[in-house]
Amino acid sequence: MLQKMKHMKTLTTFLFLILTTIGFAQTTLTGTVTDAKNKPLVGANVYIDGTYDGAITDANGKFSFETTVKGTKNLVITMLTYDTVTLTITLEQYTPQTIKLRESVNTLDTVVITAGTYDAGERARVSVLKPLDIVTTAGSNGNIVAALQTLPGTQTVAEDGRLFVRGGEADETQTYIDGIRVAQPYGATTQNVPTRGRFSPFLFSGMSFSTGGYSAEYGEALSSVLLLNSKEEEVKERTDISFMTVGLGLANTQVWGKNSLTFNTAYLNLEPYQKLVPQNVQWNKPFQSFSGESVFRHKFEAGMFKLYAAFDHSNFDLTQETINAPYKTRVDLTNNNFYLNSSYKGNFGDGWLITTGMGYGHGQNQIHLDSGNAFNQENAVHLKLKLRKSFSDRVKVSFGGDQFVTDFNEDFSNTSIQSKSGYATRISALYTEADIIFTKQFAAKVGARYSYNSLLAESNVTPRVSLAYKTAKNHQFSLAYGTFTQAPNANYLKYESQLDSERAAHYILNYLFNRDRQTFRVEVYDKEYSSLIKYDTPAAQFNSQFNNAGTGYARGLDIFWRDGKSVKNLEYWISYSYIDSQRDYRNFSATVTPNFIAKHSLSVVGKYWINDWKSQLSVTHSFTTGRPFNNPNETAFMNGKTKPYNNLSLSWAYLISSQKILYFSMTNLLGTQNVFGYEYANSPDANGVYNRRTIQPTADRFFFIGFFWTISDNKKESQLNNL
Amino acid sequence: MKTIITAFTFFLAQLITAQAPFEQGMGKAMQLWGENKPTEAAALLERIAAAEKNSWLPNYYIALINTTEAFNPKNRENVNALLTKAQAVLDIETAKTPDNVELIVMQALIHTAWIAYDPMTNGMRLSATVIGLYNKAIALNPKNPRAVFGKAEFEIGGAQWTGADVKALCKDVERATVLFAAEKPAMPFAPSWGADRAQEQLAKCK
Repeated sequence: MLQKMKHMKTLTTFLFLILTTIGFAQTTLTGTVTDAKNKPLVGANVYIDGTYDGAITDANGKFSFETTVKGTKNLVITMLTYDTVTLTITLEQYTPQTIKLRESVNTLDTVVITAGTYDAGERARVSVLKPLDIVTTAGSNGNIVAALQTLPGTQTVAEDGRLFVRGGEADETQTYIDGIRVAQPYGATTQNVPTRGRFSPFLFSGMSFSTGGYSAEYGEALSSVLLLNSKEEEVKERTDISFMTVGLGLANTQVWGKNSLTFNTAYLNLEPYQKLVPQNVQWNKPFQSFSGESVFRHKFEAGMFKLYAAFDHSNFDLTQETINAPYKTRVDLTNNNFYLNSSYKGNFGDGWLITTGMGYGHGQNQIHLDSGNAFNQENAVHLKLKLRKSFSDRVKVSFGGDQFVTDFNEDFSNTSIQSKSGYATRISALYTEADIIFTKQFAAKVGARYSYNSLLAESNVTPRVSLAYKTAKNHQFSLAYGTFTQAPNANYLKYESQLDSERAAHYILNYLFNRDRQTFRVEVYDKEYSSLIKYDTPAAQFNSQFNNAGTGYARGLDIFWRDGKSVKNLEYWISYSYIDSQRDYRNFSATVTPNFIAKHSLSVVGKYWINDWKSQLSVTHSFTTGRPFNNPNETAFMNGKTKPYNNLSLSWAYLISSQKILYFSMTNLLGTQNVFGYEYANSPDANGVYNRRTIQPTADRFFFIGFFWTISDNKKESQLNNL
Repeated sequence: MKTIITAFTFFLAQLITAQAPFEQGMGKAMQLWGENKPTEAAALLERIAAAEKNSWLPNYYIALINTTEAFNPKNRENVNALLTKAQAVLDIETAKTPDNVELIVMQALIHTAWIAYDPMTNGMRLSATVIGLYNKAIALNPKNPRAVFGKAEFEIGGAQWTGADVKALCKDVERATVLFAAEKPAMPFAPSWGADRAQEQLAKCK
């Protein structure tokens, strides 16, 4: 009995306990959830953390629910696209309240600073180019630089091939891979034979091309920076084989554990093409190159290590006409280039991000000319350390340092002269920058860069500011200002080091309209150059008198429209640039527009997927108005103007099967006889006339046929990616 | 003896009182989702997830609801928010049990939604990853109908570009319908969706 009583008691206690947990004192929590402007929010989830007790807000933003828990608890309010709020409340003392949620700035519709910058890639929120565009744009032939030349703000200088941005010379643009500078981004070439970017577009997953007003993280560039990010990871092992009219290619990717290794080799020989298509120069030895690139990646718990190495050996031998000699002049050039880049990017501690790395570039040219033999080499090192602290989604501060070491020397010899020239320079730089998102509508980036150049014995501080303001859904304005410095070009520094850096100030106003698969942007800018290098001889040479008295400006308007929405299976974009730019630099006798600038440039790019034919058809048309040239028969300096430039290119990619692609492309389909300028005789003939020779492309047309084949155990892995 | 019985009864009662709200809550959430109230369903699941850290199901269903919503063309403006949320809750569970086949299939589904959103940007980046995830899921459990069907459906979707053999893939779809029919839920509220979609696909195959 006693035993039973005891049981009863226990049971009663238990029952009592259970009852207390379920039956007692319910509290009703009520309140309102609004946005920052006191507008009620519908569908916000309000609950007591750790319990099932909660509710979502109604059409008036009101919530009401009952709970049995007591004491101090966390009240959590969550809603898609808003920052989560956690309030610590004591249930017994809870009174109805209004809770304000702030819009999350981690969403697509947050304002982005876009002044000057064109982003391409999956991470970009306002992307003007997609990763595939680099290879599928007709006329680009896999050349990253050629694809960028379809964007506004760039100048088509087809006899050079490099990037000329907003009235700047080609060497005013710096190229970075994973944040590390590439000292020699272009293949070797000679006068009036266009070069191309060294890097295979397949190794990169994103890029950002800035035409001005860029971050304090980047220095030694007066006009522009091109930032390339190599792929974060490869998931499949695969082999790619290419057979092309211009050579052969082989690529392979291996994946093991947290590592992956990609290598890519190519042998190019332009002989078949040069035999088939009439050439305007005489090739004694065709352009030939053997190149290889390799990327190793290792994924750490909270970071990524990448090692990128590229090697390139190329040579050609050609004979060009010149107006100044009765015989043709010969250039025989051999170039060796090696580039190594290692970088680590990772998170640590509370919101810290470290980016560090080292880049080494070695470039070597052996040039045989009629006048003698030249040998030059450049060794360039870049060391970098950058730290970024995220205080919240809204405030990020970064700071870091750079060390650039460049060593250049050149030997020239012939029967009568033997000369040596060169220089070594070390540039050390520190910078800091804050990124602040005040509201979803307003953001700012403020920074400054300090640099010291040991050769010039000169320090510079350059401020950078950009702001962005969203006026309405899909519409925003950005402003950017910055000053930029760059050490004089190697062609001057090798003869004279008592010089200052060249300078530029950028002022940019940008308007962007961005909605689903449609982008429209207009940008006006003013760039003011000062301290440009001048010299007093026909060409820069050992006995020239150099000074920093040059000046210049570039003002213009860039318009871009991209649409992938209006017509099914069609993507197209239109770029238009107007530029007014003049300079007094080099050995100019007046302030004039230099010969690489055309006042109006227009590019139209279209890509159409024809499903029934399993084909992608791509068309690019580039047009520029005439470029200035100097005619010594006239008294006015740089007063001539060439005829307009036109180039219609077409490419056709046919998917034979999921792993085989046939690709055909033709540059300058119509065979327009383009004129880049004129070479005038140094002295007049018997009648007192300076004769001239037309500078034209090495060939009017370029065609390319390739067959690409992917081998992988996964049939899905397709050559389409290589289109 | 009696003591033991009492103790056992009490233990059971404890278990039931602990289990009941979870079952009830999940049931209610599924009901809301069935009534086409995804916001309400996801909100309730979010509360359950915060209270029941030992079950992967609430977060799994939040991911599934958000991803399903992301596929709906009328939510195009919110795709980023929906998929970011889906990814965030899935990450919580994947960190606990990386080899859970249903979570792997869910990850493949999130990536597929990104590809559907912007094929030109995301197709190249994610297609191989999606196939890799399905392969991993099938290797872990060759009989999971969602893994088998998911892979086949994804490859059929891309066939017009890749030229993949749709006939062979339809065989996989057929096999998946058999697996769906034979599937027994491992626990209450275990994922069981997909059979109707597989039937639809099978009908298209024929």
